[in-house]
Amino acid sequence: MYKEAIRGPLILGNKSFRQISADIIAPIDKRPPLWWKAAFGLSLLMLAYGAWAIYRTIFLGIGTWGVNNTVGWGWAIINFVWWIGIGHAGTAFSIFLLVLRQKWRTSINRAAEAMTVFAVMAAALFPALHMGRIWNFFFIFPYPNTRGPLWVNFNSPLFWDFVAITAYLLISASFWYYGMVPDFATIRDRAKNKIKKAVYGVLAFGWTGSTREWLRYENLSYVLGGIAAVLVVSVHSIVATDFAVSVIPGWHTTIFPPYFVVGAIFSGFAMVMTLMVIIRKIYKFQDYVTDKHLDAIARILIFISLIMGTSYATEVFVAWYSNNEYEIFTFFHNRITGEYKFMFWAMIVCNALIPQLFWSKKIRRNLWAMFTISVIINIGMWYERFNIVVTSLANDYLPSSWTNYAPTVEEIGVFVGTIGLFIAGILLFFKYIPMMAISELKSVRDAGSKFKKRIEEMKIKSEDEL
Amino acid sequence: MKNKHIVSVFDSEENLVNAIKAVKENQINIEEIYTPYPVHEAIHGVGKKSRFTWVAFFFGLIGAIVVLAFLYYTSVIDWPLNFGGKPSSAFPSFIIITIVTTILIITLGSLFTFSVRAKIYPGKEAVMPDERATDDKFVMMFHYEDDSEQLRNLLHENGAEEINEKEL
Repeated sequence: MYKEAIRGPLILGNKSFRQISADIIAPIDKRPPLWWKAAFGLSLLMLAYGAWAIYRTIFLGIGTWGVNNTVGWGWAIINFVWWIGIGHAGTAFSIFLLVLRQKWRTSINRAAEAMTVFAVMAAALFPALHMGRIWNFFFIFPYPNTRGPLWVNFNSPLFWDFVAITAYLLISASFWYYGMVPDFATIRDRAKNKIKKAVYGVLAFGWTGSTREWLRYENLSYVLGGIAAVLVVSVHSIVATDFAVSVIPGWHTTIFPPYFVVGAIFSGFAMVMTLMVIIRKIYKFQDYVTDKHLDAIARILIFISLIMGTSYATEVFVAWYSNNEYEIFTFFHNRITGEYKFMFWAMIVCNALIPQLFWSKKIRRNLWAMFTISVIINIGMWYERFNIVVTSLANDYLPSSWTNYAPTVEEIGVFVGTIGLFIAGILLFFKYIPMMAISELKSVRDAGSKFKKRIEEMKIKSEDEL
Repeated sequence: MKNKHIVSVFDSEENLVNAIKAVKENQINIEEIYTPYPVHEAIHGVGKKSRFTWVAFFFGLIGAIVVLAFLYYTSVIDWPLNFGGKPSSAFPSFIIITIVTTILIITLGSLFTFSVRAKIYPGKEAVMPDERATDDKFVMMFHYEDDSEQLRNLLHENGAEEINEKEL
């Protein structure tokens, strides 16, 4: 728990309210710098590669992918789970910490929510493409149709997944947008340029900052926060049931839902750290994203990393303890040893061991170390999903159908394309949207000042005593 | 129709809160307060209350019933399908969709209610007494009829930077 009264102010540098608005809006007013243009160009190239891959997938079919009858789920599902995991942090961050009234979230929640929206958009692409005939996508909506009406199977986790992800995307996007409304009003009222005033004026929905609005606004955010917290846990649990209800060794376990949820929050928080280090370094926001903010994220990562390590160990232990020959085969001959052992050990090293470096205060103060470790965690989380999806399928019950799996250029293309989509989205977010919730920053500016006053009083007292 | 208002501008939350107290003690009605971030004293000062949470609960209740009824209708009454002899009315597995969809209904309903009650919707023109209220000023507005020497003195004593008359 982060208590401002003990750990001091959340915003450094004795800023005035005007200064806070000016600092956060500055990147919107400036022309985009060269690195931004270069990165945006690169992300568009990646998107173009992705578009080509999607074109091939749709017009030629899933046959362009490396998946086959044995390994029916390949990169598409790995990447889907990976992106959804990253997409969990925004909501976990802003909503859990909102409900727990953790004020240090204010500098970070906007970026985390932006990340969520783009990551979930990237994730949603994979199951849609994996359907094969994407033009029949609308079959999944339960509507009175001319096919009976034949309804969808409401008992299938795959359908639950569709419902959960659609709901999650809508809810996180609207939560994000409504959070921005007061800040758009700030931009509107500060803007001197007429076009900018008009555009942000439309986006601000006529916000004025009256008590009438603030009262409902606060109620709205607590109501949405309270119910969406359930969603954070349920969405990835449902993704986990996609696996857990099958009778494939390595998937058919009750640990899956909590294990997936924790894994999702782990990769999401790692991505938040990556993003906050970039924002702090490039936009020089060290007064807002202080060492203490990053320190708090690093502490959470250590904790979650321990849970991940425990989960990995539990899975292996239970496989052995169950004395089920298929489970034992999958874990001991297919994961720990065998042709996919690299993925297993990469997962252990990246997720359970390397984050333990955060126990050292030196590393929690070093931006480069934090950036590197957070990227390593997300690579590790990708290997985890590879490990779960492919190793269980490649060598299943029938040795005659054992096979290998390798992605094709199209599969890689779709993944690269979604990375391009994510980067492009984040760059546009940097340029056009205030990166931090300005109104919330203003409300926590003096959060630590009572403590400061008390310290000063105590100093004066002790000097008097001397 | 435009009305005249008395508009006072403060530069800190502390001054605003003191002014609210002083004005309230003298039984003068505050019309509206504009702040850059939510100030609870201001919300209480204007006397605003909200039944928002009850509305959200109501949406949830209705949503949950509607979704469960829909699932029951489609899977049991309209077209029951036999999945390996499992019961058509699979209540436990309906719960998941019910929870997620109920959350979606609460969210959409709450956003709609918020738009209606707070009058925040696309295309609305912002009418505010002072544009700086979204940046760094705290603005307290009174009805023109409540204007008096006493009110102005109270505001000045509590650190009002400006007192203007405006038509809105």
